[in-house]
Amino acid sequence: MADLAVFATTRRVLLVVVFAVQLVLTLPPLVGHPHGPAAWIAYGLLTGVLGVVAGYVGAARAKVPPWLGAVVLTASVLATTGLPPAASFEPADWAFGLVGWYLLLVLVERPVVLVSALGAHVCFSVAWFAHAGNGDVGTAGVVILSGTSFQLGVLVITRVLLRDARLAAGAAAEHDAARTREALALQREQDLRAGFEGQLGALLPLLADLADEEVDVTDRATRLRCSVAAVQLRRLFAENDDVPDPLLHELTACVDVAERRGVVVSLAVSGTAIPVPTEVRRELVAPMARALAVASGRAKVSVLRTATEVRVAVVADAPQEVPEQEVPEAGGEPVQVTVETSVHSGLVRSEARWRTT
Amino acid sequence: MADHVTAVVVDDHPVVRAGVAHWLSTEDVELVASGEDPGVAWTGPGATADVVVLDLHLGGVAPATSALRKLVEDGRKVVVYSMRADDEIVLQCLELGALSYLTKAEGADHLVGAVKAAAKGQSYTPPALAGALAGDRSETRPALSPRETEVLVEWFQSESKEFVAQRLNITLSTVNSHLERIRVKYAAIGRQAPTKAALVARAIQDGLIGLDDL
Repeated sequence: MADLAVFATTRRVLLVVVFAVQLVLTLPPLVGHPHGPAAWIAYGLLTGVLGVVAGYVGAARAKVPPWLGAVVLTASVLATTGLPPAASFEPADWAFGLVGWYLLLVLVERPVVLVSALGAHVCFSVAWFAHAGNGDVGTAGVVILSGTSFQLGVLVITRVLLRDARLAAGAAAEHDAARTREALALQREQDLRAGFEGQLGALLPLLADLADEEVDVTDRATRLRCSVAAVQLRRLFAENDDVPDPLLHELTACVDVAERRGVVVSLAVSGTAIPVPTEVRRELVAPMARALAVASGRAKVSVLRTATEVRVAVVADAPQEVPEQEVPEAGGEPVQVTVETSVHSGLVRSEARWRTT
Repeated sequence: MADHVTAVVVDDHPVVRAGVAHWLSTEDVELVASGEDPGVAWTGPGATADVVVLDLHLGGVAPATSALRKLVEDGRKVVVYSMRADDEIVLQCLELGALSYLTKAEGADHLVGAVKAAAKGQSYTPPALAGALAGDRSETRPALSPRETEVLVEWFQSESKEFVAQRLNITLSTVNSHLERIRVKYAAIGRQAPTKAALVARAIQDGLIGLDDL
């Protein structure tokens, strides 16, 4: 993109320069000296080229067709051969400088072709000058040197501009990429934080209550809340682990916390592992985690994976009291997990079922 | 005489043999022989024992399924007693004709129950086995009724037949007959074995299951 911008700008400037030179500097000598008809054809060709380039620039087209260079060289030959006798590099030679500008105008983005064409143009003019003989070599040298050096100078400036523009564009792109990476990292961190806050459930209010001394740690209800929060936290830690069977991994994590509390937990697994989406897993494990948090004595956790459903159940000795918290899992639309809790013959059973089909 | 049950234990760990012997003795089951090689079930007093309690992992890497097959083909009543609880091996043992499959995590009650049931030629379905059956996704699995599936699952989950009975509002014996019907359905599929044939024949005779259910 940077290249195109530089060339387009340069061409626009050159267009103005060429137009001015052709109208103001070259028309008077062309009219004022006895040129052959070839000179007028050359003038016409060059005007045509000017028109085409102006059309391209006007249409915001970045590149012009390279065959315009050939047209310009043809005009150079016609103009040189149409000169009055022994007029090369004299005031009557209207075309020498103008052709150089034209070559620059149409070939500015092709430096090698441009220099070659310019060389050919100079060589032909010099050859014509030598062929005519008896011209002033000093004057010719000055004209050639001043004309071409100016044009080559413009070419060099264009290349320098081009290089700087490329460097600037590269730096800007790198800067943009860095900004994007930074924004992405920030977003990810926010998502993670929001996700954790959403799933921390009972923990944050509990910590606040403890800090405010609104609850007493010697109170049994508080200790129940603590164990619920501990299981929730442990499950949350396990949630993002990369393991072959994430559901079993999370269940094991919850079982581990309960066992630390002195509950004897047995875990039975049936059926092979199948992929379970994270939200579903969360809802499958949550009832079990809550039940384990309040369990005492013995508990049995089971996972059953059949062809059509996944069932996670915990059966434990029915507790005397169940903490009143039934905080719905924050964030996220309801998924197809049904939870059922029932108490029979001194046992409480909580089961979460998810239909895979 | 009908109550007197004899058993032989094949296990490569002396402590397991001693433990099983103790459990069985408290429930009036006589352990007539034990050893670390299936040979004890073929020779001496072990050859006539009513029930063979067989450990599937006798030191080697591969499970002793060939020993199980030979015993079953000879009409012996085998209770498999194994460390492993993966469904595939459990179902394979049933297919071969074992009357029960117990994991070593399951306690004395289940072992004694399984041995006593096996002595009468009956199946015994402990919770882990129920789980394996409930999670069976093989194409050859028999069709179970919704109620049978529910009994199987809840028994696996709760390990308490009282709980299952109360929850499903059925009697304890109905829970047992559901489990038995399931096992008969399993016995009726796959390869033939004397124990499996006997299970099916007896179930039909007792009216537990009709020919149409199979």
